[in-house]
Amino acid sequence: MSVWLRRAQKRHYFHAYLFIAPVLIAFGLFRVWPSLQTLYFSFFKVELVRGRLTFIWFQNFIDLARDEIFRQATVNTLIYAASIVPITAGLALVLAVLFNERFPGKELLKAVYFAPMVTSTVAAAVVWWWLYNPQFGLFNVILKLVHLPPSPWLLSSTMALPSVIIFSVWKTLGYNMVIYIAGLQAIPQEYYEAATIDGADALARFRKITLPLLAPVTAFILIYNGIFAFQVFDQVFVLTGGGPANSTNVVVLELYKQAFQRYRFGYAAAEAMVLFLFILVITVIQYRAGRRYEVSY
Amino acid sequence: MRLRYAFLVWVVAAVLIAGTVGVQAQPKTTITLWYPAGDVATQAYKFRDPTLFLSFEADNGVRIQAVAVDYDTMQQKIFAAAAARDIADVLWVDMSWMPGFLKEDLFEPVSPDKARRWLAAVTDDYKQLSDYGGGKMWGYPEAGLDIYGLTWNKQHFREAGLDPDKPPQTWDEFRDYAKKLVKTDAAGNITRVGYAIRHVGHPHGVVHKHLWAIWGAGADLMDKPYEMKGGRAAFNNEAGRAALKIIHDMIYADKSTSLSFPDPRAAFLRGIASMQISETVSIRQRQPREAPTMPYGTGWGMSLPPVRRAGMKQVSNMNAWIFTVPKYARNKEMAWRLIEWLNSPLKDYEIGRKYDTTPRFAANWDREPFKSDAYGQAIRKMAQYGRKYPINLGLNGVFDAVGAAIQNAWQNRMSIDDALALAERQANQAILDASK
Repeated sequence: MSVWLRRAQKRHYFHAYLFIAPVLIAFGLFRVWPSLQTLYFSFFKVELVRGRLTFIWFQNFIDLARDEIFRQATVNTLIYAASIVPITAGLALVLAVLFNERFPGKELLKAVYFAPMVTSTVAAAVVWWWLYNPQFGLFNVILKLVHLPPSPWLLSSTMALPSVIIFSVWKTLGYNMVIYIAGLQAIPQEYYEAATIDGADALARFRKITLPLLAPVTAFILIYNGIFAFQVFDQVFVLTGGGPANSTNVVVLELYKQAFQRYRFGYAAAEAMVLFLFILVITVIQYRAGRRYEVSY
Repeated sequence: MRLRYAFLVWVVAAVLIAGTVGVQAQPKTTITLWYPAGDVATQAYKFRDPTLFLSFEADNGVRIQAVAVDYDTMQQKIFAAAAARDIADVLWVDMSWMPGFLKEDLFEPVSPDKARRWLAAVTDDYKQLSDYGGGKMWGYPEAGLDIYGLTWNKQHFREAGLDPDKPPQTWDEFRDYAKKLVKTDAAGNITRVGYAIRHVGHPHGVVHKHLWAIWGAGADLMDKPYEMKGGRAAFNNEAGRAALKIIHDMIYADKSTSLSFPDPRAAFLRGIASMQISETVSIRQRQPREAPTMPYGTGWGMSLPPVRRAGMKQVSNMNAWIFTVPKYARNKEMAWRLIEWLNSPLKDYEIGRKYDTTPRFAANWDREPFKSDAYGQAIRKMAQYGRKYPINLGLNGVFDAVGAAIQNAWQNRMSIDDALALAERQANQAILDASK
């Protein structure tokens, strides 16, 4: 037995690694290996059915820089992320503060808000597709009841992206709310009591105690939602397919189209690498900003 | 003890022998056929009939397994299955997917002898659909002529004071009819469109439903549509602009159509659209179920789409689903035998009669019930003006670009000129990428 192995065993490392080995192997096989392969493919023209790879240096990335549809998909993804992340975080905070109080039916309402989170995105999107239907959909029926003109919702290139964002807000709000409730309940009541004795009103307590002490939770919500917002796919695929006129086309949908409709796997891999870098940079920035506000009780 | 072991050995042996005999009695091979699920392809419903393959199975000792695959993801599934070398033996594919698959060298060609025989026996429209240049065939187009046509609601025509047996012949007449047919509520919202347009969903579908105007105006998707590589976009010109402008004018100037009626066939069958242009075969199949009080002939009529100006050549797009054998099929020989059986003159006649679809072989048109079928004969006449989709390998990208141009222009996101210029750049890039 080698010295290293003996030492590791002595420190129980060996057993620890043995226990986590199945997860590590699965992670390596299904996450790390495909990611490395994607990076590798991004420098090739890939013809999967023929089994042929042609090395083309940075040509895929050069083509990407000139690709107007990819540019539009990137802008749409940024608009989507820039809308959904603050909106869901802000609304969730408001709801969490409300649900932190006592009132009848609170648990039931909490469940109602959380239900979309546990519903399949595809199934929910199909239902919303009908809700958005311009002739028979519930939303236009409501608009008609209050004497407002009907909206084309998903059929209009100006309304389609906001409609997808509304759906996504509905879908993710419950999760953020639960995380904020957990954060609120972790704040010691003594701080509020002391502030009240010092004469701080409710708004001052919220601004000076709740918000700063929730900063780590907010950082987590922003990073978590940000990552998922950049990867948005299923609701767009079901609700609009990226249309009308690419107005809801997003990066992941575009790379899916390049790979599976145009069979340009190398190009799609290059798009995936750009997206990866994008998410990495945003996450690092958010993480660093979030660390400034770390608190301990 | 020994006796007990001996008994056990005999029992196991008996089970194994019985099992082997049982397995031998089962068909040796299963031939899989993939087709689109649901109502997307009208002629696909016959694959759900368990009796369709009975005689072939009995004669060849095989089992045919027809698998319904979701249409929207079928192209991707086929491609992934081919890459994994685990694909169906027979694929029934949309003709507009063919260039993308041919680009990847996915299919086995039909043998030249058989192709020659087929092309000599089928009608001219099927010759056009089958031939990929110089008599080369990659599969057999399905029975049931799938030509796009104008369909109109005769009752709506009567209500609007129009002759129910006289469809619009020119674009001017078409616009005029649509204005007379549109209905609004007290608040001015359109409740019935004169003409229903498709402007959302898959860009291919958007283009399919507007090709009548693009081709009819004298524009084209590309300048070398029937060459597999090369060429340039051919729609950013006066004719292409006119093709987009007619509908733009109908939406915003005439207010005879609307962006809020996105499914022309459904709108037509529900009575909230008076005219639409799409697959007539689909209206023919769906009407008895969805609009039983509107039978063909007295309830709805069909004709070729209107022409831009009187005297111009009529044209419409013609599509087909194609029986193909992928290169990586496990049972290629039996797969070919199956599709040759399905596409033989006898089966063409039997299937046409049983499932109410028009035949492909010229000789079968002279037999009843096809000879006296008013709908069949009418669609056969229309098919003379039918034109198949381009076979250029960049077609997917061109469809995407033109589909987006249509949406950009009709939704007023861009001027028609800008939308076509953008689409031209994208289409040229797609053609170039595909030819590399």
